[in-house]
Amino acid sequence: MATLATALEQIVGAAHVLTRPPSLLVYRSDGLPGHRAIPSLAVFPGTRDEVVRVVRVLAEAGAPFVARGAGTGLSGGALADGIVLLGLHRLKGILAIDAEARTATVEPGVVNATLSKAVAPLGLLYAPDPSSQSACTIGGNIAENAGGPHCLKYGVTLDHVVRATVVLPDGEVMTLDRGEGTGYDLLGAFVGSEGCFGVVLDVTVRLTPIPDAVITLLADFTSMRAAADATSRIIAAGILPAALELMDQATIEAVESSVYAAGYPRDAAAVLLAEVDGAAAGLDADASAIERLCLEAGARAVRVARDAAERARLWQGRKKAFGAMGRLAPHLVVQDAVVPRTRLADLLEEIHAIGTRHDVRVCNVFHAGDGNLHPNIPYDADDPAESARVAQAMSEIMHRCIEVGGTITGEHGVGLDKLDYMPALFSGDTLDAMCTLRDVFDPERRANPGKVVPVRSCREWLAAPSARAH
Amino acid sequence: MVREATREGRRLRIVGAGRWLDVGAPVDATDEITTTAMTGITAYLPADLTLSCGAGTTLAELEAATRAHDQWCPLLPWGDDLGTVGATAATATAGPFAERLGQPSTLVLGLECVDGTGRVIQAGGRVVKNVAGFDLTRLMIGAWGTLGVITQLHLRLRARPTVDRTMVLEVPASAVDAVMALVRGPYAPLALLSMDAGAAWTAMAGALPTAMDPAARRWLMRIGGNAPFVAAAQEALARLGQLSEVDGDAIWPLVRQHAAPRAGPGPWRWDALSRRLRERFDPHGVLNPGLLGAI
Repeated sequence: MATLATALEQIVGAAHVLTRPPSLLVYRSDGLPGHRAIPSLAVFPGTRDEVVRVVRVLAEAGAPFVARGAGTGLSGGALADGIVLLGLHRLKGILAIDAEARTATVEPGVVNATLSKAVAPLGLLYAPDPSSQSACTIGGNIAENAGGPHCLKYGVTLDHVVRATVVLPDGEVMTLDRGEGTGYDLLGAFVGSEGCFGVVLDVTVRLTPIPDAVITLLADFTSMRAAADATSRIIAAGILPAALELMDQATIEAVESSVYAAGYPRDAAAVLLAEVDGAAAGLDADASAIERLCLEAGARAVRVARDAAERARLWQGRKKAFGAMGRLAPHLVVQDAVVPRTRLADLLEEIHAIGTRHDVRVCNVFHAGDGNLHPNIPYDADDPAESARVAQAMSEIMHRCIEVGGTITGEHGVGLDKLDYMPALFSGDTLDAMCTLRDVFDPERRANPGKVVPVRSCREWLAAPSARAH
Repeated sequence: MVREATREGRRLRIVGAGRWLDVGAPVDATDEITTTAMTGITAYLPADLTLSCGAGTTLAELEAATRAHDQWCPLLPWGDDLGTVGATAATATAGPFAERLGQPSTLVLGLECVDGTGRVIQAGGRVVKNVAGFDLTRLMIGAWGTLGVITQLHLRLRARPTVDRTMVLEVPASAVDAVMALVRGPYAPLALLSMDAGAAWTAMAGALPTAMDPAARRWLMRIGGNAPFVAAAQEALARLGQLSEVDGDAIWPLVRQHAAPRAGPGPWRWDALSRRLRERFDPHGVLNPGLLGAI
């Protein structure tokens, strides 16, 4: 490792290579506590050229590595367990903005919200808005195919990426696009590959016009079933809100007791935060339709945000809900399952029952319009008995979501955290095909090893144990 | 069948409704594999806005089933509705509505396919948001069957707009910027096609209003949304020139047939990654060999 460190220091400078355990401790977890791993070394290139040279040195050394942006991921995906951590947060350049074509080309370390701020004077924004947008990087968003509340209308990260220049783990630099009739959709395969296919050097993303008008509504319900039912009615009615977010009683309580208090009614069993945006004409009609459908589903009241300040406050409670849950216990397990939208009400009741059975408190805050659940459980990871109950409850919840035709992650990625659910979701052939796809991008299997697809699912890897030496 | 072909060294030409056979390089095949037996809608949950169907299901069947619930899968690709859903996905054929309502890669949530090694792959899923595992769905879409034969698809549907109008807008050249500001801004249409050039428009002349001023700029556009939105858009556009409503149900099928930009894959980029993909997913060259040119 000493010679590797020296080689890397020659590229990025000694100040940007960490080798001593105390300084490496900072990188032992990501946004999801419960998984911890310490890298053997961390390297932070400052330019695109340095990234390429670092990756080539790692290739020559045969060294496995994990790329990392801001480390806000929620799947343990950016952890390096005794291997090299390649941090990209120093690459913060916004390289080009084309207002006419509505695109921006940026380096991977640009923070999501920074990009939107930079293009706001042009009347544009970058649409994917994960809750961590004030910290997470565009490179990390590409790796995870990140979502966010407004993806209901605007689509996930992949829908906003035009082109990316990447360095493959073997050091080759390639520009990937969607194929467009003259090639395979290599960009489609790359986005969401969780750092297993290569490292982004720059990416061209699509920008979206800032909507002329926005209406935000908050409906409050005395039962979760009624709130879920309202969601299904809105979707079935063909209204496409910009966002449709649900929070249950436990979440409301956590938010209202925190510094992020948003004015949600504390005695409600659930609140539904709905937003419509676009041309001013027609927006009132959509908002009234949502209000009517909520009331028909049993809402106690529907409140319309009067101004931008009230709208921001309603949203703050939603975006900071995970943070607010931090008050309830030292640790928080965050899940990310998706179920068919017609099954939301049933599933939420089952989740509640599973929580009660295992004596854990499940807080639900989620993208209801997509059926994208985030059942979260605050707990104390230092209490082994409680940790075991939490793990058991989560496992039952996830398997129920799979049984009703759902999936184990809508936007957080598999990483390390959901690895064990993969064989329940996908057939052996399918997992093996995923291993093949990974091999195409990274034949030496050095980029983020051990994540996303369980190693035991890769037939060829099992057949040739020598290839697993890393 | 793919497994047998792999063993016996046969080479398969993949056929849906047979509407794409003459594009690209000739397929060097000994046998044909057809998806016509894999037809029919296998699951449809209107309230979920999702639908699953066999790859051989025609676009016309998809259209009829979803229209009954005031929904659509707005693939509406260039060509006609005799084509299959599987071929639309395999060729990633978009259409005039794709930019606004979704490319095939956005509208396909998941699929089942058989790759050249005989593996039955269930890519993606049936829910509208999914990042579990590596994205084999996007890989198969637009691969022209050379990485796998698509057998089943899970689709995202959308509600049809409450009000749906197709119009021809004719404006003097001086008003072009104003039109662009509207259509790129608040009143984005579902589709917008310039009618200024191309034999296609001549072919459809009978179905469209005649140009009043040969020097004017003309667009065919479709605007959908709720009633106040469509009314406001029509009012704003009408202020810039002559706006005439036409029969959308009649005109769009003609446009999709006559105004298609081009058919078939362009010269294929066989970079190192693409070659490895083909070698690993179809090591025996069983699937549509030759269609995308030599590796």
